[in-house]
Amino acid sequence: MKRGIFILLILCIVLTGCWNRRELNELAITLAMGLDKIDDEYVVSAQVVVPSEVSMKGGKGTTPVTLIQGRGETVYEAIRKMTKSSSRKVYPGHLRMLVISESLASEGIGHPIDLISRDWELRSDFYVAIAKDSTAEEILNVLTPLETIPANKMFNTLKVSEENWAATVGITLDQLITDLISNGKEAVLTGIIVTGKQELGSSTENVITVTPSAKIKVDDLAVFKGDKLVGWLTEDESRGYSGITNHVKNTVGTISCPGGGRASLEVLSFKSKVKGKVKNGSPEADINVKIAANVGEIECSIDISKAESVEALEKLYEKAVKVTINDSITSVQEKYETDIFGFGNAIHRSYPNEWKTLKNQWNQHFTEMKVNIKVDVKILKTGTVNNSVVESRKD
Amino acid sequence: MGFFDKEKKDQSKSSTPSTSQTTESNENHPLKTSLQDNIKTVKDTLGASSDIVIREIRIGKGGVLKAALMYTDGLSDTVAIQNFILESLMLDIKHTEIESELIHNPRLMKTLKDFAMTVGEIKDVTKFDELFLHLLSGDVILLVDGYSEGLNIGNRRWAERGVTESTTQTVIRGPREAFSENIRINTSLVRRKIRDPQLWMETKTIGKRTKTNIAVMYINGVANDKIVEEVRLRLDRIDIDAILESGNIEELIQDAPMSTFPTVYNSERPDVVAAAILEGRVAIFIDGTPFVLTVPALFVQFFQSSEDYYQRADLTSLVRILRFFSFGIALLAPALFIAATTFHHEMIPTSLVINLAAQREGVPFPAFIEALIMEATFEILREASLRMPRAIGSAMAIVGAFVIGTAAVEAGMISAAMVIVVSITAIASFVSPTYDMAFSVRILRFVFMGLAASFGLFGITVGLIALVLHLCSLRSFGIPYMYPIAPFNMEGQKDTFIRLPLWKIFTRPHLISQENIDRQQNPTSAMPEPEKEQ
Repeated sequence: MKRGIFILLILCIVLTGCWNRRELNELAITLAMGLDKIDDEYVVSAQVVVPSEVSMKGGKGTTPVTLIQGRGETVYEAIRKMTKSSSRKVYPGHLRMLVISESLASEGIGHPIDLISRDWELRSDFYVAIAKDSTAEEILNVLTPLETIPANKMFNTLKVSEENWAATVGITLDQLITDLISNGKEAVLTGIIVTGKQELGSSTENVITVTPSAKIKVDDLAVFKGDKLVGWLTEDESRGYSGITNHVKNTVGTISCPGGGRASLEVLSFKSKVKGKVKNGSPEADINVKIAANVGEIECSIDISKAESVEALEKLYEKAVKVTINDSITSVQEKYETDIFGFGNAIHRSYPNEWKTLKNQWNQHFTEMKVNIKVDVKILKTGTVNNSVVESRKD
Repeated sequence: MGFFDKEKKDQSKSSTPSTSQTTESNENHPLKTSLQDNIKTVKDTLGASSDIVIREIRIGKGGVLKAALMYTDGLSDTVAIQNFILESLMLDIKHTEIESELIHNPRLMKTLKDFAMTVGEIKDVTKFDELFLHLLSGDVILLVDGYSEGLNIGNRRWAERGVTESTTQTVIRGPREAFSENIRINTSLVRRKIRDPQLWMETKTIGKRTKTNIAVMYINGVANDKIVEEVRLRLDRIDIDAILESGNIEELIQDAPMSTFPTVYNSERPDVVAAAILEGRVAIFIDGTPFVLTVPALFVQFFQSSEDYYQRADLTSLVRILRFFSFGIALLAPALFIAATTFHHEMIPTSLVINLAAQREGVPFPAFIEALIMEATFEILREASLRMPRAIGSAMAIVGAFVIGTAAVEAGMISAAMVIVVSITAIASFVSPTYDMAFSVRILRFVFMGLAASFGLFGITVGLIALVLHLCSLRSFGIPYMYPIAPFNMEGQKDTFIRLPLWKIFTRPHLISQENIDRQQNPTSAMPEPEKEQ
């Protein structure tokens, strides 16, 4: 009896047939996926790595990625239909970029990303971006220099730019979904564009020249109302957005000097806090920004060795930041009437009872709400020289 | 079937049972009085073996007494027989009047023993089985006509290997000497390290035909009486014709014969055995082998090297952790690789997964088969290099490295990553300071590879749980195998994964020596402190 059970257990192991085992060379490792909608059908494009082409040994000179496409009434159907044209099944576990076309985004992204968020094979830490002025397929069709895999290029560009330039904000899937669900904050997504001669982008010739014919660039932010795209922010408005939502890690701020010319500050830390208030039934928000910066570049006549001039720079930058943030808010309030800054959430946190009544008409309240901005800039260091070369020579 | 039957018949025909049957029955008989009868019995029993020397002499004035000396050529010191036995008997008492009443008087043997023989070790022999045991052990037997008792004169000396450097457990710092094949030398090597009157030794003879000498050594009062009693019991229970090596004893007394994990520790280093005895363990010496067994053996013991205690504690701790880590690698590396590349692609970093996929392009086998081929190749290489003459070794190393490494990858049959994984596994398995643990890892590695190939990480986890359950269920001579990890003992942690300095270790392993666990009586004064200058 005991022996019988033992043999049965052994057989269990042997006879499983290795269930859902898949060898690495049976996978089409998909690093970027594009969603388009043509004639009421989804067109899903998968940018799949050609492993032999990216290996250390060097390939045969063909493209490092290939595009697999499928059409279907649902995204899932479209993805499964890809097997009609591909020898390997799409494996999206390592997805880094999801690109959605502008036209699809205007119709609403809620439905198409359902599968993407539901499927267990996908992680939720990849970036979602909107293909500005083009289809997603066109974005995925461009080869890039430096990073052999375009998806990696987009991912890393977004990541590096987000850390070093205030206007870029990378939104991952989980963030997007949080924003879509939330009442008190509307979603934004990064825009991504192709510049140059798009039609040359898909050939390897694109990457053998110093300046590629077609380039992929991270652009400004797309504004959503609900799950529908309603417009785009300008670069300054994008900076304002990331300033308010505390997305700035490190950036450069440019200010105009009193006597003409410009100066740049390297922002080392940028902390902003939004506090919601309800005064006499109408919502308000206080934004408190604390900035620590170094003097990065002086292109004007100012004696930086004096403490007053440093203070003057601080004041100037405080004003500049305040203006940027304020402009960004008023612009969104007027043009899009959608609370992408999350003021609603701030009020929800501090005035939960009032929020219950406010939330029904929130976008209306948002357009009318008053925002108080307080900026505090501190300049820590002036770099390795005191005055600029031009200034020193005058003495 | 018919063929085998025929062979059996042929065998029974060719053997000559007539002599062998009569000899065995003689063994328990007492000696006879007639010298000629005794000599005849000896000759009959030993089948007139050419290395048995029977020298008939006459002793006393006028050669009144007939006597015979018997010894085994090659096992006895012939020079000593010449100088101290033959000379004493034939020259020194040649002119001595052996009085007539002394003849056929039992006192004659005592007189010979007390006055004539100028040798150290001497004993009476009254039975044939004793006679044969001593004769074949290299002693000299003196029989005198008319007496049904003989003298056994200790005179063993044979060619043997001296005390040489240890080859299986080498150290950089620490004594170099290793045990040899002679049990007496082996016990002396330990006794030289522990000059404690409480270091007791019990001897036994096991093996109906080999009659191998076995010594059980322990420190009375430190070793747990129950364990000593258990060792005696298990040794006495052995009923076998031959013991050729300590491995035979180990197999017959171990707790879990079906487990791949060793529950008996062996070492050829006297300092390791001495340390084990001092911790309260029991050592079993077997004649004819340099490997001495110690029990009880615990899991963590197989990760400890004698050098751990001779070099700095901090370094030792690091190396210990490294050993446990390599144990994990040796056990799981191929399994984890298989699981990750066939089931859990999402767990591998993106750039690595692309790299691995690139390597796998064109590889015809699944990862599991690939791993099996590489592991099997490595095992074959290892086994081959173990048994072959040393002169061919380098040639084989080249072929092996070339086949395993370069050629297989370049031919596109095996991915380079798999070669790396198998290599690191092989190297990690050699880190273990004891061979036995490496063995059990070798077997279990394949089990885990199978589990990983069928169930992925889930299979590995289930396997690990089963392994832990199994390890915790093991016992070595009544002591839980995983002690001091499970059952957990705080004091034991001082010398498990890390080793604290000696002035922090105050006790012996608690469970092993339950009676006398203090190593340092005044622990508070144990830490060495330089005297402060006033």
